[in-house]
Amino acid sequence: MKAAHFSYHEALNLQDAIKIKAHDDESVILAGGQSLLPALNMRLSSPTCLIDISKISGLNEIKIDGQTLFIGALATHSDVMNNKTVKNNMPCMFDILKMVAHPAIRNKGTHGGSIAYGDPAAELPALAVATNAEIIVSGQNGDRSINAKDFYLGLFETTINQDEIVVGIKYPLLKKGQKIVFDEVCRRHGDYAMAGLIANVMGSKNDIKDLKLVFFATGDKPDVADKTARLCLENGYDYDKLKNSLSTEIDFAGDLNSSSEMKLHLATVLIKKVLSKLEI
Amino acid sequence: MDDIKVNQNPKLGSLDRPNSYIGRSLPRENAKKHLDGGGQFVDDLTLPRMVHVAFLRSPFAHAEIKSINTNDAKKSDGVVDVFTAKEIDEVCKPWIGTLGHLGEMRSPEQTPLAKKIARWQGEPVAVVIADSRAQAEDALELIEVDWAEKEAQVDMETALDSNAVVIHPELGNNLFWTRTVNQGDVEKAFKKADAVVEATLDFARHTGVTLESRGIVADWNKAENKMTIYHNGQAPHMMQHIIAKHLDLNEGLVRIVSRDVGGSFGIKVHVYPDEMAVTAISKKIGRPVKFIADRLESFTTDIHARCHKISGKLGVDKNGKILAMEIDDLSGIGPFSMYPRTSAIETNQVLNLSGAPYVIPNYKAVGTVVFQNKTPMCQYRAVGHPIAVAITEALIDKAAYKIDMDIDKIRKINFIPDNAYPNKCPSGVPLEDLSHEASMDKLLEIMDIKEIEAQNEEDFKKGVLTGHGVISMCEVTNPSPLFYGVGGAHISSQDGASIRLEGSGAIHLSSSITEQGQGTEAIMKQIAADQLGVKMESVRVTLGDTDATPYGGGTWASRGAGIGGEAVLKAARKLKDNILNIAAAIMQTDKDTLDIEDNNVIRKNGGEGITLQKLAETVYYRGHELPKGTNAELLATASFLIEGIPFVFTNSAMGCQVSIDQDTGIIKINKFWAVEDCGTQINPKLVEEQIRGGVIQGIGGALFEECVYDNQGNMQNATMADYLVPMAYEMPDIIVDHVTTNSGRSIIGAKGAGEAGTGGAPAVIMNAVNNALKQVNAEVVSQPITPEKILKALGKI
Ligand SMILES: Cc1cc2nc3c(=O)[nH]c(=O)nc-3n(C[C@H](O)[C@H](O)[C@H](O)COP(=O)(O)OP(=O)(O)OC[C@H]3O[C@@H](n4cnc5c(N)ncnc54)[C@H](O)[C@@H]3O)c2cc1C
Repeated sequence: MKAAHFSYHEALNLQDAIKIKAHDDESVILAGGQSLLPALNMRLSSPTCLIDISKISGLNEIKIDGQTLFIGALATHSDVMNNKTVKNNMPCMFDILKMVAHPAIRNKGTHGGSIAYGDPAAELPALAVATNAEIIVSGQNGDRSINAKDFYLGLFETTINQDEIVVGIKYPLLKKGQKIVFDEVCRRHGDYAMAGLIANVMGSKNDIKDLKLVFFATGDKPDVADKTARLCLENGYDYDKLKNSLSTEIDFAGDLNSSSEMKLHLATVLIKKVLSKLEI
Repeated sequence: MDDIKVNQNPKLGSLDRPNSYIGRSLPRENAKKHLDGGGQFVDDLTLPRMVHVAFLRSPFAHAEIKSINTNDAKKSDGVVDVFTAKEIDEVCKPWIGTLGHLGEMRSPEQTPLAKKIARWQGEPVAVVIADSRAQAEDALELIEVDWAEKEAQVDMETALDSNAVVIHPELGNNLFWTRTVNQGDVEKAFKKADAVVEATLDFARHTGVTLESRGIVADWNKAENKMTIYHNGQAPHMMQHIIAKHLDLNEGLVRIVSRDVGGSFGIKVHVYPDEMAVTAISKKIGRPVKFIADRLESFTTDIHARCHKISGKLGVDKNGKILAMEIDDLSGIGPFSMYPRTSAIETNQVLNLSGAPYVIPNYKAVGTVVFQNKTPMCQYRAVGHPIAVAITEALIDKAAYKIDMDIDKIRKINFIPDNAYPNKCPSGVPLEDLSHEASMDKLLEIMDIKEIEAQNEEDFKKGVLTGHGVISMCEVTNPSPLFYGVGGAHISSQDGASIRLEGSGAIHLSSSITEQGQGTEAIMKQIAADQLGVKMESVRVTLGDTDATPYGGGTWASRGAGIGGEAVLKAARKLKDNILNIAAAIMQTDKDTLDIEDNNVIRKNGGEGITLQKLAETVYYRGHELPKGTNAELLATASFLIEGIPFVFTNSAMGCQVSIDQDTGIIKINKFWAVEDCGTQINPKLVEEQIRGGVIQGIGGALFEECVYDNQGNMQNATMADYLVPMAYEMPDIIVDHVTTNSGRSIIGAKGAGEAGTGGAPAVIMNAVNNALKQVNAEVVSQPITPEKILKALGKI
């Protein structure tokens, strides 16, 4: 379990990193290394060059930017959990990140890394899709902003180009009456979930006006279930109906810990669990 | 925690004297070293001219190796050489994992690297020797093997079918070993029973995940004809013999050094093909060779355990008295029986131990062990116990439910009474000095069953399924020669201790018992200092070096304290006697008026004594001052062996309460209780941590751990992210208490305490889960009890 040979480049600034990345198709970005390094050591991937962006200053900024909360790509999960601006503007973030791995991993793993990696079982890509976030990437031709729902294409597959780097994520600030609620089911605390749900809700428990449901660890990317959300809005929580709807809307892919059947069941009960967290 | 336990062993003296360390929860000194990063594990070792190896392992569960081309690999950067079976076999003779004392076992010859056919995914096939491990791994990718994949026999349940793939054609079929125990007449007894209950349970394969993976550095010194092996094993003298035997070396010139070892759990007491290959390579190339298993290798090549399917039947009369028990166990052990302990022992223990706490006049047990194309299976912590205890206790609960009797009551009326020892297991294995009645009483006292039952009902009203269970069990500890030696294995049942007073007044102790993190060194020190009358800090301990310690068996089967500890006690008493003789001569007094306290020889009636340092100085530097003919021996050795009984048993009672989320199938263990009777506790804190750690591993088996295979025999979850061991969040509060019945076999009276937790937890958790599920007429019969299995049992998916 030793990585194959690679060269290592410590990027001084963003332009530097973009230049190398653009010129070498097989180079990859190294951020916190929590997903990349295990893959290298298992020789699941053998890039030519690691471009270490972790020393680039300013990329870990967290701030309010107009009507959005901006989280810089290099902010670690721990940085985000402990940040006041995040706490005040997106209180769900703490609860969500608490379920991402363990403190040692959260001290290293980055927000941008998780978004860019696009693990279908990860929480943050689903959060980005559920909140209609914009992912800001920088490349040879400058910056572009990609809506999260367009960012994820498939299993670990995103629209990001070879010369591009994620620099930050813009989460729209919550409107009055809007709430992000979350739950997931995992075998052990800190594991990737068997199924998870992030709901973007407008209204209160007894009077939900709008509902967006985004599942993770269910398919090959964050799974948006608009039809099921509408059904739930119209009829309230009905296990059989919602399960039936989810089964037509999401292509559940079983894994070691839960079959597709199990994921469908868990996804259905997660709707109940998540909605029960709303205030009356 | 209460520091001082009532010392119920009069042979050890009272606790209110100076230097009374036995029975106290003293801190372990060697923990500091580890906290400080000062441990010395195999991988910390770098020798001059040392090379590293990486193994090419079979990617298939069953495949013919038609050809291997290593030419390109040999040219790769940093590569010293590449070997296949041909080169290794020139220096290492094959072995066979069978023993003679348990009836016919059939297992073929095994070589370090697979020849012609690979029989499990992970079996070593070729090895690259290079300047670094990374370079060796680079070269692995350049080895070309022409594989012809064969159909694999994966499922143990079809291994004996007429159309099964026969893994070793020369054996005719896939049967390794079978045994039947028959006591009384079960058929007749079942007919008389008022209620007969049945259960079939299955247990997934799992493995003992050690923090430090297996590792070895072999260093062949041609000039001295000496082989030095740095190895993180458990039984140095066993390894010494095996390496000498198979590499044709002078056994006296093989030295095994096991310094710090990061956990073992029985995983590291076996002979592994890759480690034998490393030793052979060193012999061949004359350089030190290092191999450290990576996690992937650990999962596919460390022995696995469990993998049983067991059916059982229990008959009781209307008063709950057990009349008969019958079990039939099937186990799959991979393609080879492990060397030298064999892979029959787990099943043998299931047959020996089922029903052990109870009077069961009629008992029949059949065990069948078969080959399959998976990682070899062998002895892991609590060998066979989880299966034996789970089937027994599941059947007893079922019988209780059937005749509507409390689960604690049915156990109490069937226990072998505490005053009825010596006695026998239903299988006929002798038992002595046990306390199931007292231990269950203590358990019920600390659990508060009434309160628990009320809580279960309360939860049910809220839609949560909460239930509880209690179990009793026997744990095999302190084995005699009847375990392995009688079958022809060169595994010592006797252990030794050597203790000396040095010129500085320091005490040096060495023991053939080894330390893997459980605190062996600490308890040996406690015994020596206690018995000698010196301060703990004046004792220095050497373990794990065949050139420096007495000969003995090492650490396995919970034998360290009871066997190794007794040897230390005897050696310390001998040395004390010698010291007092010398002191009597120096002080011109009668020896009986003297004693040793706090490193001083004292006069019991007062008056001036002499320090051990002064005494030692006199002996070593001014020996001429001693009266002529004084026996000035300041070195004492002693040995100990269990005789007259196959094992010294420990017993324990355990209870737990679990809650099940009906929506998700997630099980939460609310609380766990364990009462252990391991006789004298040398260090109660270490005993309790053994029990807690054992329970955690038992929780692993019950709820999380499983080596998942696809139907081609590929292991699916060979990483720490996918193979789930319980972590801090999954650990409940574990309340530990004790009953003390000393073993009559030794002065120290200690029995083992290392395995009961692992052996009993799976049974009590399963019983508690089924107690909870019973409220909705559901049941689970398969471990690990995953959320998916719960949801299936509940009819949710
Ligand atoms: C034991 C364990 C448990 C975990 N559990 C969870 C969990 O429950 N939920 C969860 O969400 N995550 C989990 N993780 C993953 C963790 O959150 C990672 O930190 C995260 O997914 C990746 O962040 P990183 O900074 O470590 O990225 P790296 O490992 O450095 O990179 C990951 C990938 O993203 C690319 N990349 C990184 N940053 C950028 C960027 N700015 N622009 C473009 N590409 C980039 C890299 O090239 C690489 O391909 C777990 C990890 C471990 C080791």
